[in-house]
Amino acid sequence: MNIIEFRDVSKIYENGTAALKDINLVIKKGEFVFLVGPSGSGKSTFVKLMIKETPVTSGTIFVAGRNICILKSSKIPQLRRNIGCIFQDYKLLSDRTIFENIAFALEVIGKPNYIIKAQVPQVLKLVGLYSKMDSYPHQLSGGEQQRICIARAFVNRPPILLADEPTGNLDPATSESIMKLLSRINLIGTTVVMATHEKSIVNAMRRRVVEMEEGLIIRDQKRGVYGS
Amino acid sequence: MGFTAITTVAITLFIVGVFSVILFDVQGVLNSIEGQVEIAVYLKDNVSNDLKVYLENEIKKWPEVDSIAYVSKEQALEKFKVQNEGSDILKEIQGNPLPASFEIKLKDAQKVEQVALRFVDKDGKSIDGVDEVIYGKSYIRKLFSITAIAGTIALLIIIILILATMVLIYNTIRLSIYARRKEIEVMKLVGATNGYVRAPFLFEGFFEGFLGGGIAVVLLYLLNKFLLIKGETVIVETMHIKNLAILGSSNIILIAYFGIIIIGGLIGILSSGFALRRYLKV
Repeated sequence: MNIIEFRDVSKIYENGTAALKDINLVIKKGEFVFLVGPSGSGKSTFVKLMIKETPVTSGTIFVAGRNICILKSSKIPQLRRNIGCIFQDYKLLSDRTIFENIAFALEVIGKPNYIIKAQVPQVLKLVGLYSKMDSYPHQLSGGEQQRICIARAFVNRPPILLADEPTGNLDPATSESIMKLLSRINLIGTTVVMATHEKSIVNAMRRRVVEMEEGLIIRDQKRGVYGS
Repeated sequence: MGFTAITTVAITLFIVGVFSVILFDVQGVLNSIEGQVEIAVYLKDNVSNDLKVYLENEIKKWPEVDSIAYVSKEQALEKFKVQNEGSDILKEIQGNPLPASFEIKLKDAQKVEQVALRFVDKDGKSIDGVDEVIYGKSYIRKLFSITAIAGTIALLIIIILILATMVLIYNTIRLSIYARRKEIEVMKLVGATNGYVRAPFLFEGFFEGFLGGGIAVVLLYLLNKFLLIKGETVIVETMHIKNLAILGSSNIILIAYFGIIIIGGLIGILSSGFALRRYLKV
């Protein structure tokens, strides 16, 4: 089953920059896909288009079989509940504890309290930071903060996880543990799409690699490495 | 919370309230003066009874006329004697120098000039049987133009103040959107609905407007109780005008209090709505 499909997708920003040019790409349910390429190759645009943070200029994007380009703005929250997002800068709220940060993601989509109390500790165990529940983000290391960010993205059990340079600020050893965590989440059946330009990670994982350059897909390889 | 915004709403709406009470009272006084506007048509002494009856019947037919009363020479003298009782002037009078007259009351005081001019022919002379026509032409016209101008100025000031208030609330909301931008970003990413993201800011705007309106009402109530009510008491005692803002029986002041609070809330919601449209693209 195709969970993500780009059909002739182009994106030209208002300043005239063509970030994506006629992209066609199919990602199947449960896949782990690396989007690689230098800065400005269109990786981030790819992520933004998927959560409809910005509209396509032309073409169609299907997520879980639905055309998200014709989605009414009132339906966008529904789309985003199905896509967990992970960022290079974590985007944690510094005035809230780890528990509250993750609970926040459930609260704002209207989950009742008893579900929050059950699901937050569960996801914290999954990322191995159950004991840090009452700490604040600044008391955690970068790798730990990134795992909290993953926990927040995953707590609602979305079928898709989008990661935009999740290891960009981390040292190699910490990055490896983040990759292990993402692999585990992928094994449960979650589709993972990760944009990165870190060669060593891509080479170690041996997963599908989609390489982009100047808005075009120049390589799509199963069990690929960074750079051909 | 936006202390400046609340204070501004309070001051603005307080001024709006004071203007409303004063304008309403001035309007009441004017209406009653309008009711007192009369045209006096003095007849020549030698006017025939036929002409008098003819004139009276004609005037009655005019649509602007509310009522017409005939005052004979004798009645005029009686009235004059009553008004000048004890004065030396009565001793000087020999015979009856006073003319007979029609006293005409109009439905609409603004038509006074138009009606009065019908007693004058195109050469500026009074028509047959009429000696002189008296009405308060110039002062009536001035009064109306002055109140019209004052009303317009008051309205302009109110509009400017309300706009200033809206800009301040707009800014408060903008700042609190900015202060919570990370939270908003996360909310949007995890799929909070637009309403959920907007609601606290709309509430903040409404609360600021509503609270400001409430403070304005309290201030206005105190001002009315200790100051404006005294002015109205004087008006009632000297001019016998009943329909005033505070003392009147029409509850106009309660409506004003209620209206000010509602307007406060509306200003708040509207301005935060504008700020959200501009700064919170959800």
